[in-house]
Amino acid sequence: MEKLQIIAAVILIASLLFIINMIRKRTLELKYALAWILVLVVVLIVDLVPAILNVISYGFGIATPVNTLFLLAFCFSIVLIFILTVTVSRLSDRIRQLSQAVALNEARIEELERAVKAAEWRK
Amino acid sequence: MEQSIKSLVIIPAYNEEKSIDRVVEDIRNNAPDFDFVVVNDCSRDQTLQVCRIKGYPVLNLPVNLGIGGAVQTGYRYAQKNGYDVAVQFDGDGQHDAGYLRRMRDKLMAENLDMVIGSRFLEKEGFQSSGIRRFGIRYFTRLIRMLTGTVITDPTSGMRMAGKRVIAEFAGSYPKDYPEPESVVHILRQGCIVDEVPVRMRERMEGVSSISPGRSVYYMIKVTLAILMEMLRK
Repeated sequence: MEKLQIIAAVILIASLLFIINMIRKRTLELKYALAWILVLVVVLIVDLVPAILNVISYGFGIATPVNTLFLLAFCFSIVLIFILTVTVSRLSDRIRQLSQAVALNEARIEELERAVKAAEWRK
Repeated sequence: MEQSIKSLVIIPAYNEEKSIDRVVEDIRNNAPDFDFVVVNDCSRDQTLQVCRIKGYPVLNLPVNLGIGGAVQTGYRYAQKNGYDVAVQFDGDGQHDAGYLRRMRDKLMAENLDMVIGSRFLEKEGFQSSGIRRFGIRYFTRLIRMLTGTVITDPTSGMRMAGKRVIAEFAGSYPKDYPEPESVVHILRQGCIVDEVPVRMRERMEGVSSISPGRSVYYMIKVTLAILMEMLRK
């Protein structure tokens, strides 16, 4: 095994532990971290068994195996960014609904407070 | 019969501490049988404090939602409280409450779903700048082409809705630059929309939400939003 492969493996495993620790501390939600864990594991496998890359490259008709790596990394990034955009849209819609509910409830509370005060005053 | 129509004026306000009093006075004097509610869209000035001191009913948004989210809060309030009629009325003093009754008379008499206050039917009062009028005419043509209905002032923020449109807007309303898009939405739902001529004033305080730099973005965004609306059921 080459030196570079070992360094890469160490970095990958450290990243994996870092992510797992963040999930453990609940700073990262498992649901959103899943994609990252998956990609780290896949890259780790490719790092340990580079022959996989050659097989895929041959299948796709890509001359240089490293280009396969770039292609896959690029596709993964685009998909992930798109998923994040969808998530942001959903979150902003939820924030809007929550804020509106807060405003409406606050007004309702004030109205009820006034009614209670008026009732007490009459007693 | 007039008294039995529960009517609400929705006043979206973002940093309108200087004009909100005048707007409320205008409504109290010229449309006294309308209830009103100020939607404070997380203003950074004293808008909320002014309303609290004067005892105006306020819907206070905890985060800034922009004009669409603010107006929709008003429609939700109208729906929750069983209003028959709800009208958007800008908090910056552009609109004239003297027209509200006329708008409601038309809405009721002709059994319409929405009445828009249009600056361009009689071309009186503040007419907006030339470049904006050009943009507005473009939207009028686009909407006529797509829906067959002529709306001379599709960007007007002075719009009165009946029960059906209140429910529709409470359920879904565009977030930014909502006026032309939401008109197309309700036209597509089979609602009947007409206009009455109104005069508008040049804003007294504050700045338009559509700066020159953003107008290109505005045109593209609203055009796409209208086309998207055509793809919906």
